[in-house]
Amino acid sequence: MDVPPKSSFILFLLFWFPIISSLIAVRSDFGEEEFSEDLLLKPLPDRKVLAHFHFQSRAPLSDSFGRHHHLFPKAISQLVQKFNVKAMELSFTQGRWNYERWGGFDPISSSNAKPPGVELWAVFNVPPSQVDTYWKNLTHSLSGLFCASINFLESSTFYSAPEIAFPPASGNLRYGTLPREAVCTENLTPWLKLLPCRDKAGLSSLMNRPSIYRSFYHSQRLRLTLSNSAADELNSGIVLEQTLTVLLQPQIVGAGMNYGSEKKLQPSWSLSSIFGRKVNGRCVLATSSSVFLQIDGDLFTQLENLQKNTAIYAADDIGAEELTSNHGFELSIKPDRVHKEVEKGSSILYEYEIKEYTDTEQFDLSLTWKHPVVWSSPLPPLHASRFLMGSGNERGAMAISLKQTEPTGGFVCANCVEERCELQVNVLQIVPWYIKVYYHTLQLFVNEQRQAVTDFVEKMRVSPSEDKVSPGLMELVLKFPCDLKSAVLSVEFDKGFLHIDEYPPDANQGFDIPSAIISFPNFHAGLQFPDNSSLSKSPMFSKLQEKSHVLSYTEVLLVPLTTPDFSMPYNVITITCTVFALYFGSLLNVLRRRVEEEKKRLIDEANKKGLLRRVLTKLTAKFRRRSSEDPQPPSASSSSIMSPRLILKVLIVAGIAVVWQYYSR
Amino acid sequence: MGFPIYGFLKFPMEVLVLLLVCLSNISSCVAYSSASSSFDTTMHTNNWAVLVCTSRFWFNYRHMANTLSLYRTVKRLGIPDERIILMLADDMACNARNKYPAQVFNNENHKLNLYGDNVEVDYRGYEVTVENFLRVLTGRHETAVPRSKRLLSDEGSHILLYMTGHGGDEFLKFQDSEELQSHDLADAVKQMKEKRRFKELLIMVDTCQAATLFSQLHSPGVLAIGSSMKGENSYSHHLDLDVGVSVVDRFTFYTLAFFERLNMYDNASLSSLFNSYDPNKLMSTAYYRMDLYQRRLEEVPVTNFFGSVMETIHTESGYRSKPSKMPLGQSVRDSDRRVLRNSHNEDGISNQITEEYLQGSGRYIWNAILGNADTVENVDAFVCYGLLLMLPLLLLSTWLSR
Repeated sequence: MDVPPKSSFILFLLFWFPIISSLIAVRSDFGEEEFSEDLLLKPLPDRKVLAHFHFQSRAPLSDSFGRHHHLFPKAISQLVQKFNVKAMELSFTQGRWNYERWGGFDPISSSNAKPPGVELWAVFNVPPSQVDTYWKNLTHSLSGLFCASINFLESSTFYSAPEIAFPPASGNLRYGTLPREAVCTENLTPWLKLLPCRDKAGLSSLMNRPSIYRSFYHSQRLRLTLSNSAADELNSGIVLEQTLTVLLQPQIVGAGMNYGSEKKLQPSWSLSSIFGRKVNGRCVLATSSSVFLQIDGDLFTQLENLQKNTAIYAADDIGAEELTSNHGFELSIKPDRVHKEVEKGSSILYEYEIKEYTDTEQFDLSLTWKHPVVWSSPLPPLHASRFLMGSGNERGAMAISLKQTEPTGGFVCANCVEERCELQVNVLQIVPWYIKVYYHTLQLFVNEQRQAVTDFVEKMRVSPSEDKVSPGLMELVLKFPCDLKSAVLSVEFDKGFLHIDEYPPDANQGFDIPSAIISFPNFHAGLQFPDNSSLSKSPMFSKLQEKSHVLSYTEVLLVPLTTPDFSMPYNVITITCTVFALYFGSLLNVLRRRVEEEKKRLIDEANKKGLLRRVLTKLTAKFRRRSSEDPQPPSASSSSIMSPRLILKVLIVAGIAVVWQYYSR
Repeated sequence: MGFPIYGFLKFPMEVLVLLLVCLSNISSCVAYSSASSSFDTTMHTNNWAVLVCTSRFWFNYRHMANTLSLYRTVKRLGIPDERIILMLADDMACNARNKYPAQVFNNENHKLNLYGDNVEVDYRGYEVTVENFLRVLTGRHETAVPRSKRLLSDEGSHILLYMTGHGGDEFLKFQDSEELQSHDLADAVKQMKEKRRFKELLIMVDTCQAATLFSQLHSPGVLAIGSSMKGENSYSHHLDLDVGVSVVDRFTFYTLAFFERLNMYDNASLSSLFNSYDPNKLMSTAYYRMDLYQRRLEEVPVTNFFGSVMETIHTESGYRSKPSKMPLGQSVRDSDRRVLRNSHNEDGISNQITEEYLQGSGRYIWNAILGNADTVENVDAFVCYGLLLMLPLLLLSTWLSR
């Protein structure tokens, strides 16, 4: 009796093994697809709050790749598959990032500050000859997917292929921007639809449209990277990174303003006050869901100073407790983890893990300032700005100015050459074809003194614009000494003419020159946390630690071009017609007129008239005479009773009598 | 001698039968296609809406609000987003002048945010041009254009085309720089008809002198409503002092007032919509062009164009995969709630179709042949096929008589 159960058990195992193993395989497969959501909050020196959402989905490159997905958006994987996209970034931005106030040397600003409008770049995994066709098809697909006019980028006048000055430079890169593209709800909604929880649950439920679009700056970004390295099993696959960076102004409550003190208190805020919503819980499909609060390094030192000055507490025991209970501000919820950068005077991250919340208890982090603090954001190595020079509608000049941000001067650069400290600056400038740039007029002023360009240019790549075919592209790799105060690059241009069909409906507004990209390859923005603090599995946490190039975009320039008066053709037609009519009319009049004949005719007419009048007067006179004389001859010829006049009179009298009778009755 | 001759004859007889079957198949195919091409037999398959706002610039806020109100209405009445082509010439919701970012209102009470959270704009900004509009209507796109930007209607589609903007005598301005002429519109509609892109088309236009835009239309199945007659202006309804501009036009306002009372299952007819326009309230005379439309307006519910309510055909048997003709989407759940009082002829046809589906394919072919023979239009084809049929018989008889 013992044996049969055992054998049956073996049989059972044999029977079920494939199914169970397949189930396990499915589970592991399922486990490989990952999604995570993070939110970074950061108070900024100019009384605003930065909110940076970061969603990351990852799908492995498996056999089922592109056919079925659990978490990864299918639309994106199809895009990758169909257009052989190796890497891609699409951003929709409204507003301009203020590098001086909001920071220019931190991971957020260097990778999430984007030029206004739409920016798209993509690297393709196809032979170079086919890249353009793939790019065109990609722009069309993206325009359908994100409800935007990205398809305008298909025209070769809008995109170019930078090679040396753009960070992800590679042979198959295409880069294009649409500076005037509007960004609104219809772009955010399809972007949110790529998330497994959409905006129904998790951190994305904070995205209240009116509060997002009321912000000073918002940038919605989608970045795709495809890595299929066989060696690195963990990192192979498609990684989709979706970020939304919003700069919000907390509403100033009466209590937040302390007029008694000279320095104004920073406005206190909470999630519900800046977004109008609270977090109800995490997206259950997310592997990690956390909220970070970042305190800038400078702010932290200011707070420390404040603490020393007040000297209420003898700050003997500096530990984690110390970091959480700061005296400059107060947090409503105790953070789960605190990360501090390794270097002294560096920033702190408070981490909150989002778990399931009930309707009564929601996650609503709030920050209340207790003492006024003044601090500054980390500044970029050089402050870049661009402006137009010259006047008139014929020609002008464009200048990019780089100014030192640190008043003390000198950089602590990462890879300085031993004897000479060098600062490398890459400049990428794309100019539409109707701005005809004369590249030979490129001038460089270093510390306000004109210098030969060749002394500072390490590498240069220029592809001049071709009318109605391609934009002008200028890539420069410049190397300046570290004690640089200021540098100005200027170049002159002529303004071209467009065909009448090519003018946009609002041509009077002017035409945009897309932002130039200034990058500093020797500088890396990235927070450095000690290894033991990397307990957090959040992808954003690792993203913040990643060493990315410091990058800044310049302003978009608005160039007024000669715009024709579109009613001009009409005016021209009417004026020319009038002139022609006058000319030909008078000419014909002169030619056709026969003066002598007309005179004669006029005299004749006058004579005729006189004759007629004479005849008429004669006739009337005759008639009068006859009428006065007539009564006798007819009476003589016929009886007076039969006279028609008499009959008429009788009839009239009778008629009057009848009418009288009729009315009197 | 008789027997061998019979044996001899047997083979040709088989050939003859084969030939006959082949020919009848061909004729049935012809009959089938001709039957599906004819107007009456196509069934209402789906609803599409093309909503166009042609005005740029902030002071034309009301035109965008008009279009978005219609967008909301047709969405509420059941047309899904993928069957709505929304063209907005400017961005009003996130315009710097808009005090209420990401919101558009069509009433000063601000009760209803038309922009909502889930709006899909297919063509916007500089993309709203006459060229793109005509491309959408006629379906002549570049290959790369995604499906969401195409009007993928078929011969059974009911299309609502709503346009608003600034217009004049026989033209409608696009973005203040181009014009759509009444001839262009008529040509596009004619092309659509030729390409079997619609069964019925309702063109609704809210501009000044809207009636003149319809003067060149001559394709059957087209119904047109304009907000004003020739020489009349269409006016805005009211000004919103918070937004700072007029927020809705009169004609659209009263159209919406009519639709707000309705839900998907209401049976209000088109004539009740047409009669709801009061010239005193509109300050213009609404114009209807009905001479190209075959059905009586009293019998056509407004949801025929403004919503997506499918008729349900009940079949006894299970589903058989037959190509074409059967409606694509049928909402079964509406069947008990909604009883359509229109389209008796369509019901008849659908009954006939289902009958045919129930019977075998051979019977179906035979019916098709009979039907083909009955129709006078196809008499030429029938004679041709008859002559063709005679040819092998003649050959056979000559061959036999040899």
